[in-house]
Amino acid sequence: MFEVVKYDGGVYRSNELYEAIEDVGGTVINRMHSAQVLTVTMSIPEEDHEVIAKITKEIGGQLFNVPLAGTEIAVVGCTLGRHHMPHPICDIAEILREEGSISVVMGLARGRGKKTSQISLREISIIDEYDAVIFMLGNFKACVEEKKALMEKISVPVILVCGPEPEGMEDVCEAVISGVGRKAARMKAPEERAKLNEIADTVVKVISEKKAMLEEDPLFIHPAELKPLLESYEPIDMCLRPAPIVLHLDGLRVKIPYREHKEYFDNLMVYGRRLSEIADIRESKMEDSSTIIRIKTMSAVRDQDAKKAE
Amino acid sequence: MDITVDGPDGYGNDAYAKLFDDIIGDIGKSFMFRKAHLCLKPEVPLFIFSVMLKNHPSSKTIGDVASFRAEGTELHMSISNERYAPDILSRLWKVYGRGKVDQQTRFDLIVHDARQEDIEDMVVSSGEESVKEIMGAFWRSLPEGIRVRHTYVDGRVITVVATEEIMRQEFLDEGLELHQRMLKESEVEEDV
Repeated sequence: MFEVVKYDGGVYRSNELYEAIEDVGGTVINRMHSAQVLTVTMSIPEEDHEVIAKITKEIGGQLFNVPLAGTEIAVVGCTLGRHHMPHPICDIAEILREEGSISVVMGLARGRGKKTSQISLREISIIDEYDAVIFMLGNFKACVEEKKALMEKISVPVILVCGPEPEGMEDVCEAVISGVGRKAARMKAPEERAKLNEIADTVVKVISEKKAMLEEDPLFIHPAELKPLLESYEPIDMCLRPAPIVLHLDGLRVKIPYREHKEYFDNLMVYGRRLSEIADIRESKMEDSSTIIRIKTMSAVRDQDAKKAE
Repeated sequence: MDITVDGPDGYGNDAYAKLFDDIIGDIGKSFMFRKAHLCLKPEVPLFIFSVMLKNHPSSKTIGDVASFRAEGTELHMSISNERYAPDILSRLWKVYGRGKVDQQTRFDLIVHDARQEDIEDMVVSSGEESVKEIMGAFWRSLPEGIRVRHTYVDGRVITVVATEEIMRQEFLDEGLELHQRMLKESEVEEDV
């Protein structure tokens, strides 16, 4: 299995680190270079962790575990209005980024209110593109329980963060964290930072469970292995959007339009097969300028082969 | 500010008292408030916010918050209330230009080629503006979906009754009762 770790250190002799990553068959997920400081998030085989740790020590850097690296998580508020933004939704998004995830903040179009709150099918489809979703609700128990309907049809793991402790949410949420409601100030106090850490730990737990489920029936190819192949395609390489390729647990988001590059995506050769055979490829529901690739599992590919042979 | 909260949800009551205090602090109007009473009934839903101000919001002119001394063509000003210093300075810059306004210290200014009669009537803080800002803070504090609102303003008391869908007569009656109670208390409390 691949694991994702973060190197934090200097630029000096960083070429040796990149060579070591390449030698062990790993891949660089994200590289941030600021003056003499370098941060590299990488995906490497678990059994080669020692090799990378050794070279990191030699060149004077440090290696950290980033349990949420390689995931994209949505933090959803009732709306994008100032009643719900920016605190504490942005504080939660920030702590997830510290843990290595790519976090995205979203507001529902008609999520405000108690009896009038709604979620559209398109919003559900957009949320389902992420690895997990955090719903941030308010301070009143009656309202939080009423808003259970917003989460009922979501297929990805839902983590609910709200003020009071609601009842009857177990069937729609993987986890409920209470004690963080609507706020008009940043979460800076020690007890608030502890609450943010509790949220991050809960997300790590939920993501680990999802990873363990994926391991039972592994993907045909790990998304981190597919990333270098996609990077060599010029439109992706030239894409100016931040993080043109985002890793998911079971695929990737590539920030170029599927419609224009259908030919390339469908016919990309991976281990002797076309990408369209081993993955479901479609346009993102959020915007037509991104492509969602969901890699099929080994068993799904085998089933597909068996059906073809019949 | 003294905030009292009524409502069946203990967590929500404490959170809203803090939220209301933070938002009023954000708009910089805490000094205007004597007390606030929040009635929170999310299960209805009905929210009544009633506040008593320390004094009736009225317009302030530069003459109310500064003293003057004329020396030839120069007008020396001394600001007596710090709260209005930035507004006075920006008003004078706008009318006379930066070159003619000489700021000696934070509170002492010299305005060149100016007459006291022209300056002392300039408005630096409008009462209507303050009420608007307070109403804005109410709407920011109320839950976003609670959009059907009715407002009572009398003297130093402002009350907002808000619900989600239909404003029923009993909601208005409840709001008016709290409003009148606050109004009665304001008659006893001194207008500072």
